[in-house]
Amino acid sequence: MTRRPLQLTVNGRPQEVFVEPRRTLADVLREDLELTGTHVGCEHGVCGACTVLVDGLAVRSCLMLAVQAQGSSVMTIEGLERDGEMHPLQEAFRDSHSFQCGFCTPGFVMTALAMLEEGQALSEDEWREELSGNICRCTGYQSIVEGVQLAAERMGVGQ
Amino acid sequence: MRLIGAKVPRVEDRRILTGRGRYVDDVRLPHMLHATFLRSPLAHARITSIDASAARSAPGVVGVYTGEDIKGMSAVITVPMAAGCKVGEFYALATDKVRFVGDPVAIVVAETRHQAEDAAELIDVEYDALPAVATYEAALDSASPRLFDDLEDNVIYRSENSIGDVDAAFARADRVVTTTLRQHRVANVPMEGRGAVADFDPSSGELTYYAATQSPQGLRMALARTLELPIERLRVLAGDVGGGFGLKGNIGREDFCLAAVSRKLGQPVKWTEDRNEHLLAAGHAREETIDIEVAVTNDGKLLGMRAHMLMDHGAYPGVPFAAAMFTGLVQMLLPGPYTFEAYAFDVTAVNTNKCVYVAYRGPWEMETWVRERVIDDVAREIGMDPAELRRRNLMAGAPEDRLITGLGVAGISTRESLDRALALIGYDDFRRQQESARAEGRCLGIGFASFIEAAPGPPEMRMGGGMFGGERAKVKLESDGHLLVITAQAPHGQSHETTLAQVAAEEMGVPFEHVKVVHGDTRVTPFSLIGTGGSRAATWASGAVLVSTRKVKEKVLSIAAEMLEISPDDLEINDGIVSAKGTPTKSLPLAQIAMQATLAPNSLPAGTDPLLEANEAFKGEGITGSGWSGGTHACTVEVDLETGRVRILRYVVVEDCGRVINPAIVEGQVRGGVAQGIGEVLYEHAAYDEDGNFLAGTFMDYLLPTATEIPRIEIEHIESDPDGELGFRGVGEGGAVVAPATLTNAVADALAPFGARVQDQYLPPSKVLELAGVVAG
Repeated sequence: MTRRPLQLTVNGRPQEVFVEPRRTLADVLREDLELTGTHVGCEHGVCGACTVLVDGLAVRSCLMLAVQAQGSSVMTIEGLERDGEMHPLQEAFRDSHSFQCGFCTPGFVMTALAMLEEGQALSEDEWREELSGNICRCTGYQSIVEGVQLAAERMGVGQ
Repeated sequence: MRLIGAKVPRVEDRRILTGRGRYVDDVRLPHMLHATFLRSPLAHARITSIDASAARSAPGVVGVYTGEDIKGMSAVITVPMAAGCKVGEFYALATDKVRFVGDPVAIVVAETRHQAEDAAELIDVEYDALPAVATYEAALDSASPRLFDDLEDNVIYRSENSIGDVDAAFARADRVVTTTLRQHRVANVPMEGRGAVADFDPSSGELTYYAATQSPQGLRMALARTLELPIERLRVLAGDVGGGFGLKGNIGREDFCLAAVSRKLGQPVKWTEDRNEHLLAAGHAREETIDIEVAVTNDGKLLGMRAHMLMDHGAYPGVPFAAAMFTGLVQMLLPGPYTFEAYAFDVTAVNTNKCVYVAYRGPWEMETWVRERVIDDVAREIGMDPAELRRRNLMAGAPEDRLITGLGVAGISTRESLDRALALIGYDDFRRQQESARAEGRCLGIGFASFIEAAPGPPEMRMGGGMFGGERAKVKLESDGHLLVITAQAPHGQSHETTLAQVAAEEMGVPFEHVKVVHGDTRVTPFSLIGTGGSRAATWASGAVLVSTRKVKEKVLSIAAEMLEISPDDLEINDGIVSAKGTPTKSLPLAQIAMQATLAPNSLPAGTDPLLEANEAFKGEGITGSGWSGGTHACTVEVDLETGRVRILRYVVVEDCGRVINPAIVEGQVRGGVAQGIGEVLYEHAAYDEDGNFLAGTFMDYLLPTATEIPRIEIEHIESDPDGELGFRGVGEGGAVVAPATLTNAVADALAPFGARVQDQYLPPSKVLELAGVVAG
């Protein structure tokens, strides 16, 4: 199948790859760019594990064709650390023992990050609603909700 | 230094939160090929012909193998832990017949996964359809077609057992409460599906198998057997594993295929299943029915129980465990810690044209659901409060207390947990609220249930160390005074890199950061058939780490004693420094002793052992406390009679898993289990129609609960034996075991005014409305 050139910025670095149009953004991130932090959990847009930010918006990279990301700026889980320091959201998740097996984790981190960056203060119920597009099978969610609330508090979101 | 009992942050989190986890689909090897499976679209059929010629010449395709090919590449699959269950002949791929929708018929290997999937569509399989065996009735009917030609029918396991004078107990009863309780088929659904990379090296004859497994050693043994490979040439590697809940202790037929194909091609072959394949073919669980009768007196004395169990085993047995084995645990635990006088149990397991039945988080869970559900029915029948009925019959955990099936339950805290759970949820207050809500037309309910879990169980359940001889851990003091701990566990979310480091650091007297826990490499890890499963780690892995660390510590102290000229009994290790108790100036850094032992072992004092390693077996010596984890859960619900929605108002857990190593990790295990139990009751159903068609192949059909469906879960611990050195007990399964009983009891309570009898565990809105009489059944 014919491959097409694709230029995009990933975690601040410009990238050029050649892709079959049928391949997804998740395929390109994981296979061509070796950014395996983005996980594929269902390949039909329900579980949210593959969530990345495309131009600041949370997107399911299993549902987006890579060629649709032409010219976009993509951020993945690998892009959050700065100078070897975790992002406050990552620290809050660690401090809250938010996750167990870690497979859904990148999707929750990116979904929560997009919401935190919107800057609105949310109640626990609102956070649960916002996170309800991501599935975790290990935790029962409480620790994840606590983690994101702790991050919002530490980051002064909505204050 | 108190590490045990502290909410120590997880070692695993840094890599998991930054995208540095290494799951099996992240493995990429030079010259790696990609596999996909062609699967049966029919539930039951004879394969009359397969034409794979177009697929073989498709772009990028390296090989296509069918059942006939695989017969020449691997042996018949054996099920070592079948315990009297009949096993028909089967191979890694379907040969003469397909037996469920999703049965693997061919494996296609190509340069990319896309090419493999494209080529699989070109394979032409002709089937001669057979009637599907997709219900208990069909499976028990001798006129139905047999799934396996080499078995006489579709009944593969029967067992019965009777204790005490059952007829006499029923003859003395004032009432006999009879019901049929049906548990539906569900699936484990870890967020990471199955997958593997098989890498056979023709020059050495060695197979390296990268796996998403809970049981690397069990997998290695099964691969060696089925591929007829010398086991020393087989290495299983498990990195991060994205959940399993029992499923990934099962060895898939796909595993054997991949290994065989890699050997054939002399190249690494990767397979990562997609979610549809996972739901269809990875494994299902729980499909069981029990007809039960309980004999009781009018004042609430439970006299006898009779239970007849049916298990829908699916088409093929699990490997290494056939699910029929789990019924032994159901039989043993069904009467629970209640003072029955007599008990009869029988079970029949049948083959059906459905996916393999695998272990799922507490594979004996049926016993808790049925017992706690029927006790509520009994209470209603005799007009007694269900809490009072339980109090009248629960064992106190006295030294001589034994289940009617013979297991000792000295020290169990079930009664205390029941009282605490009811106090926490405000049982009496809720009953008043419920009454006034009913007057307003609102439908509230409260339910509770208790369980005990053998984790590790009483001494008679762990002869010689339980599950074939306890567990080992290797501990080594490295030359810099840090500790390397190698465990037989294969964690996939349970945080053993953290908890076992807590145990080792505290025992040795080194900083937590100085301990590295290694797992998942069969070349170095001790043998365990189960790996991580059965809520074993808290007791068995911790115990193994403790005894091996202690052995290393003894060796170090005997060296230090000679060097410092102080008796070992007067020495202690704190923060990596050996010093005389009360005289901290007389001291030696561990690092100095370790470096000398490594570089110049002959320079150590005579009579000491320079090999600062241990590989001790922990067989249960010194276990303190009851041996039973357990507790009581309680929840309140509101049922919407318009929509049938069940909203959980509060969910309270009182859990006793003995001495808690890390409360945050324990509570995560409990909450995760409860969430799965809630999902099982309200949302999840791995449904088939009567023709054996699978109806839940996507996450739009197989519904998993999200953050809006799972409530806050309030937890209180009873730490019976808080100081016991080996008072750690398992906690992985209890939440999932007791939550279905708790929630179905709450729904039954809410719907009691409508005369509803809850007999199904699956209570989606349509069923709730039917029970409430809003819609016809």
